Amino acid sequence: MTESQGQAIVRIKDLNKFYGSFHVLKDVDLEVARGEVLVVVGASGSGKSTLIRCVNGLEEYQSGNLEVDGFRMPRAEEREFGEVKGLRDIRRGVGMVFQQFNLFPHLSVLHNVTLGPIRVRGKSRDEAEAQAMQLLDRVGLRDQALKYPGALSGGQQQRVAIARSLAMEPHLMLFDEPTSALDPEMVGEVLDVMRELAREGMTMMIVTHEMGFAREVSDRVIYVDQGRITETSKPDAFFDNPQNERTRAFLSRVLKH
Amino acid sequence: MTTFAKSLRWLHVNLFAKPFDTGLTLIVLPLLAWVLWGFLDWAIMLADWSVVLSSIKVLMTGLFPVEKLWLVWIALCLIAGLTGLASSTTMPFGRNALLAALALVALSLIAAAWFDTISAQTALVVASFFAVWAAGSRSETLRANLTGIAFGVLITVLLVLSPAGPSTWGGLLLSIVLTLTAALLTIPLGVLLAFGRQSRIASLRALCTGYIEVMRSVPLILVVYCIWVAFPLVAPQFPLPDVVRGLIGFTLFYSAYAAEFIRSGLQSVAKGQTEAAESLGLSDMDTKRIVILPQALRVAVPGLVGNILDIFNYAPLVFIIGLTDFLRAGQMILANPENSGRTYEIYVFLFLVYFAVGSVITFQARRLERKLAQGARK
Repeated sequence: MTESQGQAIVRIKDLNKFYGSFHVLKDVDLEVARGEVLVVVGASGSGKSTLIRCVNGLEEYQSGNLEVDGFRMPRAEEREFGEVKGLRDIRRGVGMVFQQFNLFPHLSVLHNVTLGPIRVRGKSRDEAEAQAMQLLDRVGLRDQALKYPGALSGGQQQRVAIARSLAMEPHLMLFDEPTSALDPEMVGEVLDVMRELAREGMTMMIVTHEMGFAREVSDRVIYVDQGRITETSKPDAFFDNPQNERTRAFLSRVLKH
Repeated sequence: MTTFAKSLRWLHVNLFAKPFDTGLTLIVLPLLAWVLWGFLDWAIMLADWSVVLSSIKVLMTGLFPVEKLWLVWIALCLIAGLTGLASSTTMPFGRNALLAALALVALSLIAAAWFDTISAQTALVVASFFAVWAAGSRSETLRANLTGIAFGVLITVLLVLSPAGPSTWGGLLLSIVLTLTAALLTIPLGVLLAFGRQSRIASLRALCTGYIEVMRSVPLILVVYCIWVAFPLVAPQFPLPDVVRGLIGFTLFYSAYAAEFIRSGLQSVAKGQTEAAESLGLSDMDTKRIVILPQALRVAVPGLVGNILDIFNYAPLVFIIGLTDFLRAGQMILANPENSGRTYEIYVFLFLVYFAVGSVITFQARRLERKLAQGARK
């Protein structure tokens, strides 16, 4: 499943990103193949969330190259003039799941899931609702469709958020610490849905602190340290035999408890 | 617990819980009783309310031509219907409401027969309020299109009243037309200004910011007066009646305040909401219209309602451009030597009517806030 050049859906080359004078991402090189599950780990503040937020253009970058599905994501200076042509087309094919779920609180669960397909994909309401019910069934929330997000538990909200992304039929799903804001007993239900997705062959980039999950589902793990990718390995090699000193230190810290 | 024991307990908890409470109660209650007694004594024994009855037409409509008063009744029915529809969005029409409806219609018929002046039309206005309330409670379509219907009603009301000539509009009618128009126009203008103030385009941002800040730093009366004076100079080819110029002044002034309430609402919407909408591929327009604005308005509602109340309560300022609103109509009646000595009666009547209309607005607003809060936590 590894990277034959033609199959890469994400291509990152010499990417640099700054927040003002703070250098967040440094000379990042990374390719993600279609169907690959890539897990990004690293200490907090290392830039791993920023990295995947760059992939769907939520963050802009200053230099280098970032291609998604063959489209070069605009750099900071190209976005100064407002909406960039083609960016929305890419975004609708890239799903994003946030740490804080970011469901639309004023819309019902069903409406949250159908909004994108109706407004962006131009589906009819009936068609979108049928699809949404199918997706909600898949994440085990069929009977919650008419509730408002505020009435659901965190785990349920995050599963709705996943269904909302899937409704756009993405070729790539980004997960930005999807379980970090959850109570421990709800982490499992969200990971189950993600595991299922991985089994179905969805391309995924996942930032997570769930190391057991990472080892189980990933095809490859990268370690981000102070804005650099310092280690890229197969999961078994990554967890059993980390090459880099700092990776070892990190793993011993997170695996201890 | 018996009712008697319950009442005793209520008294104990609410009025006599602690020595301080007891002291306060013993001072406040007799004071209230004394004031109320004095007022009722005057209102029933001394006051001569005939002045209100004999001048009710002027109080309510100003100089509106008598032979065209039926237009006012049509407009009132429309406004009552709109209020009914607004009610149906916040509280469904139930059996209690039906009883209240019948009681009110009966009461207004009796009152109509008694006073012989406000005949069956009053009953018609009350009936249209309840009819639309009931209809709105049953029809999702009606409720969903409240905004559109409100603008439709506003335009119809203005058209219905226009054959009499805007310069004849006065009294409570003028206050209500002014409030309704300004309230409905300031909100969309406020939305545009609030978004403009956050725009990426610097010139637009500067324009909106400048407009809002200028309007907020000058008195209402000055804006109304300036528009009234300046309009004929700037656009002499469009001779607008005083009422319309007054309306423009109020709308321009209060949309700046509406914009600030909406802006604070916009700022309260978490950044993650925009990000989620963007990552679904929603357009800028859709993101603002479907995701951001509804959440922002929910936060802005209390402020916007305060704005509407302000418009209603400051409507008397239109006297500066020669218009006769409700308060001014009352003063005009007192200026008639026949009515000298009836000052208290007129002012008490004005007070009660202002209080009643203001209460209706705040009551509806509270229901609206509660409704909006449903399913919105977090």
